[in-house]
Amino acid sequence: MIAHVDLGTADYAETLALQRRLHAKRCADEIGDVLLSVEHPPVLTLGRSGSREHVLVPPATLRAHGIEIHEIERGGNITYHGPGQLVMYPILDLRDYGKDVHRFVWTLEEAILRALESCGIDAIRRTGYPGVWVGERKIASLGVYVKRWVSYHGIAVNVAANPEHLKLIRPCGLPVEMVSVNELRPGPIDLDTVRAPLISALSALWKTEIEPADREEWI
Amino acid sequence: MATNDVPVTMPDLGDVSEARVVQWLCSVGARVSEGDDLLEVETEKTTFVIPSPEDGTLRRVAAPEGTRVQEGTLLAELERA
Repeated sequence: MIAHVDLGTADYAETLALQRRLHAKRCADEIGDVLLSVEHPPVLTLGRSGSREHVLVPPATLRAHGIEIHEIERGGNITYHGPGQLVMYPILDLRDYGKDVHRFVWTLEEAILRALESCGIDAIRRTGYPGVWVGERKIASLGVYVKRWVSYHGIAVNVAANPEHLKLIRPCGLPVEMVSVNELRPGPIDLDTVRAPLISALSALWKTEIEPADREEWI
Repeated sequence: MATNDVPVTMPDLGDVSEARVVQWLCSVGARVSEGDDLLEVETEKTTFVIPSPEDGTLRRVAAPEGTRVQEGTLLAELERA
């Protein structure tokens, strides 16, 4: 069983500290597997392969919007997080899920593809470019950290992100554009429209129940 | 390698063809305990931390940052404690 903890809107740095605490507890077998779900205020994060050259606006513009850059340990380059984006951080002992980094990343992508399909969006993988794409545009990013075979960091799906914010960076350092679900389908949409089928897909792919858990017991 | 040396090799990460060394977390000459974090490699947008297989002293880094490595590639040599 995986506990699903919905953090609502939460600060990036506080959520990263929470992930690190939960990762340490999971490594020590003090807790079971947990899947955090969160929406961050606008922020940029640089992974181990990241570079500030992929920020497309001057530092003063970021400051004016209150957008900080965090250098972090996950794999990958640069990523934007912000309102209207569904972020999920699986803190799992991967020895119970095949002990296979490729399979873990493939499963995260597959769950996103299935969730988007349930929203009527035909998304794809692109060989050599982890993440999920609609044509040439990126709709979901991923970046993971695995230590002692326990994961943290995770995925970000653009559901109804600020289109101006999506232009702040070259996502993953690539000369491509990002897109949100609400630009591709008519009608209102909120994070739950994507979160519910995404959790169902992860549950099916990982062959385990994902149960809602009380936020207060986990933070 | 001397008889007291222990090779540190790239572990099996699953169905992964290769990874890239992104960061060494300790320096040559450092004493390490079994399970201590030695280095980070990256593959498929995943940073993976490789631990020390034994107690010892890091004698030589065989795969510096930026090296592409596969399962079994020699990463470093430890002198057993």
